[in-house]
Amino acid sequence: MLNTQANFDAISVDDLESMGGDARDALPFGVVGFGADTVVQTYNATEARMSGLDPATVIGVPFFDAVAQCMNNFMVAQRFDDEPVLDAIVPYVLTLRMRPTKVRLRLLARPDAPRRYILIER
Amino acid sequence: MNGTSSEEQLLEFLYACPVGLIECDRAGEIAMMNPHAMQHLLPLAGPRDSSNLFKALEEHAPELRSIVADYGPATGKICDGHRIFVDLGPGRRAQAPKVLGCTVMKLGVDRLMVTLADISEQVVQEERLRQADSWFATLVDGTNEYAALTITADGLITSANACFTRQTGYDCAAVTGRNLADVLDTDPAGAALRLSEQVKIAGRDGWHLQEGWQRRADGGRYWCQRLVVARSDHADDPRPSGFSVILRDVPGREGAAEDMRRLLTCDHLTGASNRRHFSQIMEREQTHWREVRQPLSLILLDLDHFKTVNDTHGHPVGDILLRRVAEVCTMLLPPRGVFARLGGEEFGALLPRRDNDQAIGLAEAMRTAIGAIEVDMPRGPLTVSASLGCATLDEAGGSIDALIALADERLYAAKRAGRNRVYRSDAHAA
Repeated sequence: MLNTQANFDAISVDDLESMGGDARDALPFGVVGFGADTVVQTYNATEARMSGLDPATVIGVPFFDAVAQCMNNFMVAQRFDDEPVLDAIVPYVLTLRMRPTKVRLRLLARPDAPRRYILIER
Repeated sequence: MNGTSSEEQLLEFLYACPVGLIECDRAGEIAMMNPHAMQHLLPLAGPRDSSNLFKALEEHAPELRSIVADYGPATGKICDGHRIFVDLGPGRRAQAPKVLGCTVMKLGVDRLMVTLADISEQVVQEERLRQADSWFATLVDGTNEYAALTITADGLITSANACFTRQTGYDCAAVTGRNLADVLDTDPAGAALRLSEQVKIAGRDGWHLQEGWQRRADGGRYWCQRLVVARSDHADDPRPSGFSVILRDVPGREGAAEDMRRLLTCDHLTGASNRRHFSQIMEREQTHWREVRQPLSLILLDLDHFKTVNDTHGHPVGDILLRRVAEVCTMLLPPRGVFARLGGEEFGALLPRRDNDQAIGLAEAMRTAIGAIEVDMPRGPLTVSASLGCATLDEAGGSIDALIALADERLYAAKRAGRNRVYRSDAHAA
């Protein structure tokens, strides 16, 4: 169970929802959870380390406008609008601390889940 | 500081900045960039390398590399708000085209600072201002310079001023009631649109301005700017009730207007039409095709193994080849044909009034002419070949996107079949 949860490719929306904050922080990949309005609700410690941002300043802001403009296009943000059920892994390039950084993104959404998730693996 | 370090604040500021910021070296290798820059660059890069500015923009702004390379001074502003039009291709929609403004500062021999911003809205507003400007300019500059006429929706002259007589030699009173198209004799072989075509566009867009040779009553010709503006006398009926026509005698077509036109419509490196101009012409010709049902063909052309040329001999040699390709292909164009550079080593030719067989014939001629190009190099002449695909708007059911896709598909079929060839369907090969 623990192995599945710690796995970037296998972890599910339910796993993420049921996890405590400490467990999410311990994951080896970045986790961003946000509502249908794109406002950030969870931002784990791994992601905070990669981006150099304090989770306290990220939580409560619209993710694609204020933090992740690089994902604000048809390749990521648009997919959450278009696909109510989404589980896709996309190779991507982020600008973590303003450095182009190749990553894998996993986009997760389900209509009955309270939060949508983007997982970031460096 | 509420526990937030100044570095975090700075990062927050850069993450949220609604303008793209990029720092790269002279080869375009990106050292730093903010998320807004990546938002634009990544979709444009497609399968190409998004960590190199020039490679990422190779398809939409291939000229940027040479603009930067051609800049002499050690430091300074290389370009300010250089426009990158990203409206061509399968994603193109009916809405206003997306335009990026790109500013490049040279901070040192090997250090460039670049900004990217979405200026689509601004471009739309400028277009509107230009319409108003070109119209007001004709009023303000005085009636001596400008022949002014009014015509009905059917093209019959209802009035003409005295300048019309001075400019064209036709009596302004005597022409009233005649059809303007019969009076004006434009050069039929030239690229200029016929008056009827201009009127159609003005009816749709509100106005149309063009330049071309115009004949006077005594047979002499002059270079004429012709503006057609739709008039609507009834507020509740948007259809034009007639048109105003302004003619201006422009001595010497090498004037500032021609320079400006070249700047806006031509590719910086090769002098061929640029993507944006090509896209506009395609839309204009599509409208024309719908109205008159004459054939319209497109040739797409891609140089074979061109990356090897750049890698082996360097970009300056590649640039020479690109210029020669544009030169020989432009020479082969029929009247009203347009040759454009669409990307790094990809070109297109739009051929109004040419059917598929004629397009294939011309594509063959282009392939032969490109094959004959030789660039002298120390180890012997460098040559190049091209693969070509043709399609007609009829085959594409009238859709520009489908036309491009079909020609592109055939171009790649020609590549797969061994390159240095024009794609032919089995029917044509037989």
